[in-house]
Amino acid sequence: MSQQLTQIQPMSQPVDIGDEVASFSAEVEAEIDRHLAKYPVMRSAILPLMFIVQRERGYLDAAGVAYLAKRLHLRITDIWEVATFYSMLNTTPVGKYHIQVCKTLSCKIMGEPGITEHICNKLGIRPGETTTEGRFTVSLVECLGSCGTAPMLQIGFDYHENLTREKVDQILDSLP
Amino acid sequence: MATEVIKVNVDGTDYEVPKGARLIDVCRDKGYDIPSFCYYADLALQASCRMCLVRIEKMPKLQTSCTITCTDGMVVTTQSDEIEKAQRAMMEFLLANHPLDCPVCDRGGECELQEMAFDWGGLEERFTEKKNYRPEKYLSPMVANDPQRCILCKRCTRVCDEWMGEDAIEAGGRGANTVIGTYGGWLDCSQCGNCIEVCPTGTLLDATYRHQARPWEQEQTISTCTYCSDGCQMSLGARGGELMRIVARDRYVNGLNGEFLCIKGRFGHPFVNHEERIRTPLIRYKKGGKLIPATWDEAIRHVARKLDEVVDAHGPDALGVVGSPRLTNEANYLLYKFAMELVGTKNYTTTESFDLNPFFANLGAPLATHRDIRYARTILLIGGEPEELQPLTGKQIRQAVRNGGAKLIVINSVPIRLVEQSSQFIHIRPGTEDAAVLALAEASSVKTAAGKMGVEGSDFETLKQAIDETNGDLVIMFGTELGASALAAVAQLPNVLRHEGMRVLLHPLPLHNNSVGARDMGMLSGQISATQLLDAAGEAIKAVYLAGSFSTDQLRGRETALDKLDFLVVQELFETETTAFADVVLPAASFAEVDGTFTNNDGFVQRVRQSIPPVNQAKADWIITAQLANELEMDFGFNLSASAVFLEIAEQVPAYSGLRYPLLKDESTPVQAKYGIVEGVDLTEELNSLRVAVNALPESGEKVTATPKVGHELFKIGTLTDKVAQFHLLAAGNPRPETLRVSPLYQITVDENLRQEAVVSGK
Amino acid sequence: MFIGAIGCEPLQLARVHLENSHSLEVYRQHGGYESLRKVLTSMSPDDVISEVKKSALRGRGGAGFPTGMKWSFVPKDSPKPKYVVCNADESEPGTFKDRYLMERDPHLLIEGMLIAAYALGAKINYIYTRGEYRYLIDIMDHALEEARTAGLLGEKILGTDFSSEVYTHTGAGAYICGEETALLSSLEGLRGHPRMKPPFPAVSGLYASPTVVNNVETLTAVPDIIRLGGEAYQKLGTEKSGGTKLWSVSGHVNRPGVYELPMGYDDMEKFIMEDCGGMLGGKQLKAVIPGGSSVYIMRADQIIGKDVRMDYEGLVAGGSSVGSGGFIVMDETVDIFESTKNLTEFYKHESCGWCTPCREGTDWLVKVFKRIASGGGRPEDVQLMLDLCDNIEGKSFCPLGDAASWPIQSAIKRFPEDFRKHLVNVNGGPATNV
Ligand SMILES: Cc1cc2nc3c(=O)[nH]c(=O)nc-3n(C[C@H](O)[C@H](O)[C@H](O)COP(=O)(O)O)c2cc1C
Ligand code: SF4
Ligand code: FES
Repeated sequence: MSQQLTQIQPMSQPVDIGDEVASFSAEVEAEIDRHLAKYPVMRSAILPLMFIVQRERGYLDAAGVAYLAKRLHLRITDIWEVATFYSMLNTTPVGKYHIQVCKTLSCKIMGEPGITEHICNKLGIRPGETTTEGRFTVSLVECLGSCGTAPMLQIGFDYHENLTREKVDQILDSLP
Repeated sequence: MATEVIKVNVDGTDYEVPKGARLIDVCRDKGYDIPSFCYYADLALQASCRMCLVRIEKMPKLQTSCTITCTDGMVVTTQSDEIEKAQRAMMEFLLANHPLDCPVCDRGGECELQEMAFDWGGLEERFTEKKNYRPEKYLSPMVANDPQRCILCKRCTRVCDEWMGEDAIEAGGRGANTVIGTYGGWLDCSQCGNCIEVCPTGTLLDATYRHQARPWEQEQTISTCTYCSDGCQMSLGARGGELMRIVARDRYVNGLNGEFLCIKGRFGHPFVNHEERIRTPLIRYKKGGKLIPATWDEAIRHVARKLDEVVDAHGPDALGVVGSPRLTNEANYLLYKFAMELVGTKNYTTTESFDLNPFFANLGAPLATHRDIRYARTILLIGGEPEELQPLTGKQIRQAVRNGGAKLIVINSVPIRLVEQSSQFIHIRPGTEDAAVLALAEASSVKTAAGKMGVEGSDFETLKQAIDETNGDLVIMFGTELGASALAAVAQLPNVLRHEGMRVLLHPLPLHNNSVGARDMGMLSGQISATQLLDAAGEAIKAVYLAGSFSTDQLRGRETALDKLDFLVVQELFETETTAFADVVLPAASFAEVDGTFTNNDGFVQRVRQSIPPVNQAKADWIITAQLANELEMDFGFNLSASAVFLEIAEQVPAYSGLRYPLLKDESTPVQAKYGIVEGVDLTEELNSLRVAVNALPESGEKVTATPKVGHELFKIGTLTDKVAQFHLLAAGNPRPETLRVSPLYQITVDENLRQEAVVSGK
Repeated sequence: MFIGAIGCEPLQLARVHLENSHSLEVYRQHGGYESLRKVLTSMSPDDVISEVKKSALRGRGGAGFPTGMKWSFVPKDSPKPKYVVCNADESEPGTFKDRYLMERDPHLLIEGMLIAAYALGAKINYIYTRGEYRYLIDIMDHALEEARTAGLLGEKILGTDFSSEVYTHTGAGAYICGEETALLSSLEGLRGHPRMKPPFPAVSGLYASPTVVNNVETLTAVPDIIRLGGEAYQKLGTEKSGGTKLWSVSGHVNRPGVYELPMGYDDMEKFIMEDCGGMLGGKQLKAVIPGGSSVYIMRADQIIGKDVRMDYEGLVAGGSSVGSGGFIVMDETVDIFESTKNLTEFYKHESCGWCTPCREGTDWLVKVFKRIASGGGRPEDVQLMLDLCDNIEGKSFCPLGDAASWPIQSAIKRFPEDFRKHLVNVNGGPATNV
């Protein structure tokens, strides 16, 4: 949607969605309602809702996208254009544990390459790949705001900082 | 309102410009060459290509002239080393990942990027890295996509959103990975192809024309569309007698539609050179026999003799003469002349079902042009579904609301897509459009009418208030649902609603390219309508001379009517339900093969120009009529030129007086017919019959609640669109094919086994 | 990691070491929400703005625009709702101060936002936090709930007629959403593309209404400004930039962390060598990026013995700028070619793709860097890179394009030997010492 016009007309659009639409439990629906209540314009809740769909369904699959379009009164393309813009939204499946290693400058000079190498060797995959059983995905990501405690990685939303190889072993081994 | 004038200085020259003018427009208007890709008039500003850089005094950095509003005393430099370096740099960036294999690109020769590179000259390629690769694919049966060539000007996404209101195509991804596309890669929309039109590069391409011709091989002819009553101007590209494609690119044509066309206008033309075109005159010598090819001489002689016989035996009124709202004014005029002067029959008409005569007889205000619609303050739409039936009008309404802040009031029995743009939607019961007109025409009837429509009386108060508050233009549009008395009443609404500071304009929404013109030619002023004529077949009517075919709707329940005629002669492009009964079929020329004029729903009389010689042995309809008249010993006197016919039209039809072809030459300044405007007409009778009609409506009835699907009218298969394979895919719901790399046309599932083969061999 | 003030009394970091510093109870025990009370009971909105003007507070998000001035641009008579949006999208490489402010002292941010909301007449306010900081959103949500329950947020705050709400909003991984107009696009549920200025957000921002976007650190400075008075606050710093500033220190120092320094702190060398515990492993200082990745990189000899003052003017004089205060220290082992390549990859990844020069330019630059790194460097590449940067700088739609070119331009200019090394070494393998 082009920007100038949305300023004049932040209007919802009629729904034209796919056949299969995801459904969620009453609690999740309530959570979604709480997010929607925060904004005068429904569309604003798109990112929080995408995170919820992603949490519940692993990634933004077709049914989840259809759900978002329906819930937000948007077209499928509106969901698609947003989902593909942000790096934290996955439109393809990722492992149960998404290991995101920061590769930006501070982490890089403080030992990220060694950490990445260690994780990859341990899991037998390269950055960007998922282990065959679907348990781990390893990604290299840009600065996560942890430069003072570099090197660091994030699993899901959890920060793990001041990493050493031993610490990485501990973290990975302690995952349920 | 006088606009304030301010002074700006461009490259050392002072200019006076209206306050609020956009700098890029001013510069271009004054002849300064400002390159740009993303700027497109009347679309949301983008300012992303960064080509239109200029230097403005007292501003840091170079500025994008597309975003600058002129202020008094502004001093602008458009040419300098600094600016040229910056612009060249942008070109270099755009070309970095752009394939430089222009010879294989369909846009080669009319690509804005290519032209810019050519104009600049001296570009050195410093980019020696690997280009980002993205495979070519199809987005739909109509739209081919080569994403590598995209420069992300986003004209396509903007026209899709702002013109079409569909938002079907968007940018996905981020940074250098941004691509234009759709969710799942398949384009589900009305397939207007405007994204193709506005694309400056070879990213979005006409899939029906792909790899068939080069732009420079084609002869471009400016003409008028042959589908709906909007009368879009288009350029027909022909090569060697074959119509290759239709575009509205502004390098070729500059009509009321700009670069807009709808799916039918743009992609509906392959019928012209279709192999099923009737090739020669055909004669059925014996009822029940076969149609047998004949020469023109023989056919004309045969028809003349037969018509003579019928008239001799049963009198002139036994011969019905039927024109068509699809044919040119010239063709309809000659049919009228044929009926009136030569035969003297009162039974003439056209195949049109929507008779606008009561409307024009009571016309209380000028017709609104499409430009008026774009700049209207309030638009009242009664019935109709312009986004499907008159797509250009639909686009103008949408832009009036979205870009112009106009108010749209929709009165409809169906929640059509335009309701999304409306400020008020009066959702009435099906078939009660007349009641809406009555409620508007007289306040005393609001209560009864509202009851019939199943709406609140207060809805009309709200509506009235919106109209009363209107300062500027009010455009009243209406669809084909209205009956005769309602049409008269609508035509006089301007006199009812009039107030200081508001101008009322009317805009009828008939269905066919020359619905208005065929009426203007007098073809609807006979004593009979098309269905009445069919009902009288075999009785009062013994023979029919028909240019075109009856519609399926008209023939429904009258399947045997044509069989009862002693003699039926039909001028047609294709064999139809009607030609099946014809005794003689004469091959007519299509709009691409004739000269003439169409009159659109703005009342614009616009030129139709011959792009290719008549296909096979076809002849223009008016020539056939003239030859037939000749054979019947009446010389119409203008056997060889359509312009001569038009001269006579201008003499005979008051609204067209003074018009001549040279005056209609320029498609960018269309000429409106001068319809007589009548004020203070006594409508007592019409209102009485309207009241009676409304009173007869039932008080109950279900409302339609579902918004119709995009394309439910546009994709309908008619005689002409039937000849376009892609339309059949769309009519079948535009299924997503197995692979997007091959045109969906070659992946049609006829049979499981066949399909596998076709896909594998990539035919 | 160190968190604390050097060379002044801690203001924003005053409570960070307290146990349960994030709780409302602790915050109130230490004078929390008293500034808000003072504002609501004894000051007019204009008073607040003029106090902030007097404080010479400059935006801490990177641009350094005077905050009081920004607030005064909001049209008073606009019938539209007004919004205060807190920019907590902290994604500038090397910057992590907002994170600790929100983690340790969320109520300070809420109080700052409410004071701003009062000054501007905003009824709804959002904290736009980067998606990766999910745990901070939870902390903020908890703090907001506490404040709501205590009557400090929502209807009739502190029993006065002032009502205002603060909500959290999550980003989803896009550096560009830190740019204020892109942030607003994102908050409206669109792709995070920047918007045209003018109109500036103060006139037409969120939902086309007047909106003030301020960084976390900016807003958390406000309660102290009210408490101390604008003038007193300004005196803590310099005449043109008042108060204190947080520096996020990372890289090869013994004591990385968040440092609160008075504006105009003298001098950078002392800061690195003493306050930050000196160089890690006693190595030699090679380079410093003092204000987040988007500023000019400085050579050690521009710092050592040069008395670089740490404020806006001082750093410009020293050859760089304050930016977001992301202070990255690099020792002699770092190859500046590699570090610049790393940052360029960051900008390529984060370019939103809207405008030509940034989208294509960063892509091209990364390709050149990669080619050089894999041994294919050519002598003309340095000139090519400089020219590409020149073609991006000043021509892009938003400042990200500039931000992408400055590190390269300065690195090539100040560390030519690190680049030359790769070009001369045409047949050698890639340098991987970073
Ligand atoms: C590319 C880019 C990224 C930015 N990222 C941030 C950011 O992460 N956090 C922030 O507070 N400001 C960021 N800014 C600055 C904001 O645009 C804006 O100036 C700031 O939020 C205003 O707040 P302040 O006046 O309090 O600094 C960024 C600017 C640009 C151009
Ligand atoms: S400079 Fe252009 S492409 Fe880059 S982030 Fe800004 S708008 Fe997007
Ligand atoms: S550089 Fe790794 S967290 Fe910032």
